[in-house]
Amino acid sequence: MNIAVCVKQVPSSNEVRMDPVTKTMIRDGKQAVMNPYDRFAVELALQMKDRLGGRIVVFSMGIPAASRILKEALSCGADEAVLLSDRAFAGADTLATSYALHLGIRKVEERCSRFDVILCGRMAIDGDTAQIGPELAEHLGVVPITDVAELLEAETDRLVCVRTADGERQEVAATYPVLLTVHKDINQPRLPHIEGVLWAETAPLQVWSAQEVGADLSRCGLTGSPTQVVRTQVPEREQACQMWQGGAAELASRLHGLLKGEE
Amino acid sequence: MDERLAEVLRDESRNTGFADSVSFPTNEQEVLSVVAECRAHGWPITVQGARTGLAAAAVPYGGHVLNCAKMNRVLGCRVDSRGRFVLTCQPGVILSEFKKAIEKKSFDVSGWSKESLLAFEQFRKAERQFFAPDPTEASATIGGMAACNASGARTFAYGSMRAHVSRVRMVLSTGQMVDVQRGQYVANGRELRLSCLPQGELTVTLPSYTMPNTKNAAGYFVQDNMDAVDLLVGSDGTLGVMTEIDCVLMAHPAFIWGVSCFFPSESVAVEFVIAVRGKVAGLVALESFDGDALQLLREQRRQGGAFSRLPAVPKDYGYCVYAELHGASEDQMLESLRVLGELVQQVGGDPRQTWVARNENDLGLLQFFRHAVPESTNLLIDRRKQVCPVITKLGTDMSVPDACLKEVVGLYRRGLAEEGLQSASWGHIGNNHIHVNLLPRDADEVARGKALYLRWAKAVVDMGGAVAAEHGIGKTKVAMLLAMYGEQHIAEMRALKRTFDPLNLLGRGNLFQAEGGETV
Ligand SMILES: Cc1cc2nc3c(=O)[nH]c(=O)nc-3n(C[C@H](O)[C@H](O)[C@H](O)COP(=O)(O)OP(=O)(O)OC[C@H]3O[C@@H](n4cnc5c(N)ncnc54)[C@H](O)[C@@H]3O)c2cc1C
Repeated sequence: MNIAVCVKQVPSSNEVRMDPVTKTMIRDGKQAVMNPYDRFAVELALQMKDRLGGRIVVFSMGIPAASRILKEALSCGADEAVLLSDRAFAGADTLATSYALHLGIRKVEERCSRFDVILCGRMAIDGDTAQIGPELAEHLGVVPITDVAELLEAETDRLVCVRTADGERQEVAATYPVLLTVHKDINQPRLPHIEGVLWAETAPLQVWSAQEVGADLSRCGLTGSPTQVVRTQVPEREQACQMWQGGAAELASRLHGLLKGEE
Repeated sequence: MDERLAEVLRDESRNTGFADSVSFPTNEQEVLSVVAECRAHGWPITVQGARTGLAAAAVPYGGHVLNCAKMNRVLGCRVDSRGRFVLTCQPGVILSEFKKAIEKKSFDVSGWSKESLLAFEQFRKAERQFFAPDPTEASATIGGMAACNASGARTFAYGSMRAHVSRVRMVLSTGQMVDVQRGQYVANGRELRLSCLPQGELTVTLPSYTMPNTKNAAGYFVQDNMDAVDLLVGSDGTLGVMTEIDCVLMAHPAFIWGVSCFFPSESVAVEFVIAVRGKVAGLVALESFDGDALQLLREQRRQGGAFSRLPAVPKDYGYCVYAELHGASEDQMLESLRVLGELVQQVGGDPRQTWVARNENDLGLLQFFRHAVPESTNLLIDRRKQVCPVITKLGTDMSVPDACLKEVVGLYRRGLAEEGLQSASWGHIGNNHIHVNLLPRDADEVARGKALYLRWAKAVVDMGGAVAAEHGIGKTKVAMLLAMYGEQHIAEMRALKRTFDPLNLLGRGNLFQAEGGETV
């Protein structure tokens, strides 16, 4: 099995800072972690490899500090990692990001055989678009199965999985190559062991520029991004608490009234 | 007393007492008035923090309950002569909230002095700060922690609460106060003189015993030429009501990694602990979970609910040692991890049978794992209690010197086997401080468990250990303190207490049997 997993570095807290000029997120690598959904994708890859053997290559597009999350995947059992890092990639929207990722994947495929399975997290928690997976599938010309919540079977030539969306459950079988985007809680991501962490420090991690993957610069970064963020804001939520006092019967009738919309 | 206040009659030791009245002062002035009234009527006073104590120290047996929960403000900030930030806390400040406020650098500063506000400005600009004491129960109060000299996993490197308190202000039962800054009052040999506020002086004759050279929260802390702060910390509510505690912060470590190392057996794990101490830079905690504790976790996980988040522990993992590393650079952390891995291998473990947590998420998971152990035993005991109400968990809290780790583990295993008692053990193995939790199945096992605990206590004292390493003596371990120090030294402790509290109003029944009072 040849498995590719795409992972993204995201801020660990909810305090996302925006660049006031470019309207894109400031990513300085401080307190950054692997996107939680991507951890499930990495774990799924590891479980498939445990069962069927093969090789896992992890990809990310990001600043040099994003190599930390690639090392994290390596420490858990991935075999190789590729970081696409170049100023030309900066400010990319989902289209430009998936374009860059697909070039990285293609370049590895030139050297080895084709990836059977490409795994992505369902979405990144900083952008919440859930677009990278399907767009990447389009670039690669493979079938996407989104929102995978369970892997029922995985063989060397096909898999059967369950996708859930809008409260519906759908069983889908696919032959390879296939791209899956995975839900959280599809599995329990493992923690690395000491040997894994130490090995990851010397493991194969390549950093490729736009030129090295043969990118068309007009399709990269801010230039290659048809979507622009005009404004971002944290949704306002109002919470109010009323304290009621009184006897049980009185309170019950008041609550009844409230539930009926009378109060 | 109002029935709704019934909760002030018990603590986490699950003992219930009785009282005639209760107060919730919000400031020192109110404490002074409450104490004055109690003195006038001769009412005994039981001081309380969050009542998370495990030795019934906060359980009243008559008289007045003075609960500090509403004295929960941080009153000021200063920078000490070593450049460290010091926060002055009222005793009812809750540890978890204190830690959160330090992390966010956000305090309610209303009423703070100008100097405090200036120091606070500096604090806000400074690097991330950190308060080291970390008892597992984060809902404890700073006052309770100071009174019990609480400790936690990181005590292995950073010491207990005592090491992080630089000043204590206390209301005495006489209506006087002491305000003791570290370095201000130092004993001359075993004699300590303290000025009182607004006037007066105390001349304290310190007991003559030598404390064990181990982690210790049993009885008063005494040493030749000691600092007065060290006596007030750990006084278990018997000398006065703490109204202000100065807590010293330290710079937050740039990196915190947690490593759970699994071993096939307890004996291999003990060899690892002996091998690892002093060998790994930045090692701040060594915690243990025995095979029975791991088995409880496996069962809880199977039952689902919140516990299903627990990582699965493979069947062949027989014992876990959690090591925590703090450091300034990633290279240093990796080097420490490498040494740790080598030592795991050296003693016959497998460096691949480890879990390494390097971010807050994963550290949180390992913390959840560690906290799930006591919770699982409590659930088990609660279930058994429903069938047989006398059933209670018997948790030991004893430590021995480094050289006796193997011996004490052997002692526990032999006792458990001889009595055929079920147990689960965890704790601070780095400090040779393992909580053996006896899990009785019936009333007979409760009785045999208690007898076994007392036998262990005597053996631990013979090894030069302490009968209470972090939970204090309170009321439940009075007999053990007696076994540890003997009648003469207990009499000296009583005399010390009388110097501070001549009417014997405070914390009656804590540390030693109340004079003329009933056994609790
Ligand atoms: C699940 C669990 C885990 C725990 N883990 C740990 C642990 O890891 N390490 C540890 O050390 N402890 C632990 N404990 C025990 C307990 O949390 C500590 O002893 C804690 O320090 C008690 O604080 P408290 O505020 O609850 O004090 P309380 O229980 O209310 O009181 C404890 C003692 O402090 C005295 N006291 C309280 N406030 C004052 C004051 N203002 N002036 C004078 N005396 C005062 C009381 O009189 C009493 O003697 C644990 C408890 C539980 C339930």
